[in-house]
Amino acid sequence: MNSLRLRLILLLSIGLGIAWLVAAWFSHAESRQEIDRLFDAQLAQSAQVLLATTRHELRERLEHGDDEVPASHEYEQKLVFQIWDKSDLLMRSASAPAIAMASKKAGYSEAIVNKQPCRVLTRWDTHHEFMIQIAEPLAGRESLARHITLKILLPTFIALPVLALLIWFGVGAGLQPLKRLKQEVKQRTANRLEPLAMTGVPEEVAPLAQALNDLFVRLQQAFEGERRFTADAAHELRTPLAALKIQAQVALRSTDQTERQLALENVLRGVDRATRLVAQLLTLARVDPETAAMDYKPVELRSLAASVMADIEPLAHAKQIEMTLEDCSLSKVLGDDAQLGLLLRNLLDNAIRYTPAGGKVSVSVQNTNGISLEVRDTGPGITETEREQVQQRFYRITGSGEEGSGLGLSIVRRIAELHGAKLTLSDNDRGRGLLASVIWPAK
Amino acid sequence: MRVLLVEDDALLGDGVRAGLKQAGFAVDWTQDGQAAKLALETEEYAVIVLDLGLPKLNGTELLKWLRGRESKTPVLILTARDTVADRIAGLNAGADDYLIKPFDLDELIARLHALMRRSVGQVTLTLRHGDIELTPSTHQVRKNGQSVDLSAREFSLLHELLLHIGRVQSREQLEQHLYGWGEEVESNSVEVHVHHLRKKLGTTLIRTLRGVGYVIDKED
Repeated sequence: MNSLRLRLILLLSIGLGIAWLVAAWFSHAESRQEIDRLFDAQLAQSAQVLLATTRHELRERLEHGDDEVPASHEYEQKLVFQIWDKSDLLMRSASAPAIAMASKKAGYSEAIVNKQPCRVLTRWDTHHEFMIQIAEPLAGRESLARHITLKILLPTFIALPVLALLIWFGVGAGLQPLKRLKQEVKQRTANRLEPLAMTGVPEEVAPLAQALNDLFVRLQQAFEGERRFTADAAHELRTPLAALKIQAQVALRSTDQTERQLALENVLRGVDRATRLVAQLLTLARVDPETAAMDYKPVELRSLAASVMADIEPLAHAKQIEMTLEDCSLSKVLGDDAQLGLLLRNLLDNAIRYTPAGGKVSVSVQNTNGISLEVRDTGPGITETEREQVQQRFYRITGSGEEGSGLGLSIVRRIAELHGAKLTLSDNDRGRGLLASVIWPAK
Repeated sequence: MRVLLVEDDALLGDGVRAGLKQAGFAVDWTQDGQAAKLALETEEYAVIVLDLGLPKLNGTELLKWLRGRESKTPVLILTARDTVADRIAGLNAGADDYLIKPFDLDELIARLHALMRRSVGQVTLTLRHGDIELTPSTHQVRKNGQSVDLSAREFSLLHELLLHIGRVQSREQLEQHLYGWGEEVESNSVEVHVHHLRKKLGTTLIRTLRGVGYVIDKED
């Protein structure tokens, strides 16, 4: 049941039906009460009239010792009654039974007479001489009450389907703003994400429209970021290409052997650099949230560090950099081990790249008040003003003499963010150099 | 022809410097805007090759600063951004020409020559003086129609003197035009180059003013 209209109709119909039933029950009870009062009064009157009209005849009969009980009476068609003296049945209608219909106590009661539930009135005459019991079937009252109730409620009962139809159209008209909203949303594409007009949007739908607008803004930002990234990446490739072209031209026209040699070596360096840039771009694209695996598993950071350091050791060795993994406790974080490995590899790569030959690079894992993965080097460090900038894409520190892609720390930051961790750069707390920490805050 | 090259990319900067040097330019190379500013405050350049995306002080700001001091030195910008808006922004900031990366070394050299020609109000491609012809774009010198073989430094020296005919150029001025930073200036190098030029082109072409400098006199 996904149609709002059907759902509304059903709910409203059920509600109306229940309301109608309650109304029916109330009016039935009301009319029944009214009818009871009327009929009781009539019963009382009948009893009075009967007693009055038969008293003379009864007295005569008592005086003459006539003990035959006449079994018929002129009222027999309409009334069931018995007239008693203190002990004996003196007179009864043809339909009345020969035994007492109720107790001899004066008043109304209900009893089964002739296998029918009846209202019975017991009454004594003023001299307490004769007693009359008069019965009337309750069925008559009930059917009358039902009749009245039906008469009153029938029009509304007939009106119910009409009402449903009206609701159907009403709901349709009421949902018109939603339809308009649907049309508006339908027109939105990746290139056309302007916010929906909020004028004329009913307040019930406004939160939805607002949420959609917020989503559009986020989408637009994401698309914008994507576009900017593609443009940035293309531009970033232009510089290495320009360098390649110029170096090749220099080599071609050089008459000096060493100069040509140098230029050709520079061409190779340029190719390596462009290759690295492309590789890093691909890496960054792969750690996009959409492609990131959401089924993270526990990763033990110390053994991860050990394996990454084993991989990267030749690089450190070539530069005579002493690389150490400090003693640390086991620390597990939820994550993707390949991505976390990439994160550490980039940090170590940077540390080795920017630390002068003979320097030191150390890795440690802290597990006090959150978990942090720390890489310390004895390089030149990064000035406070540049610490934020180096985490931006394609930012390079000048004068370092190193040809980075400008993407390494962006990759680290991205992976850290995806893992709920944060990358912070600070001065090496053990002297000269940089301390790069990836911190998982304590839960 | 002293050129200031402002390019933060090490490989590209190195290539352009080597290429321009081959073409007879004296090249000073800085890798950030601040250093370029310092260089411009202390030295005189015939032309500036400027990358726009620079650390510390970006190219556009540097250009504005330069034009703010009413410097007329022609500026060619190198840019990776190729939209019309980017190019217009560069030109509006005071650039005279632009090249989009990757570019051709020959084109860069040709455009630099064109910029320098324009900046000294020279319209013809070839500088003439008597029977001497010098064509900067092809790096050729002819005497009586015969090609004369000159070294890059000799060519630059002759070019410099021909650009300022009738005005005495001091030895320091000439050295500045001939040598970039870090290039060792041999003592008496200008004298040596002048000596070679006289040998190749005739002794009367360049006149020495002892203790002052050198000049090529106007033709009568």
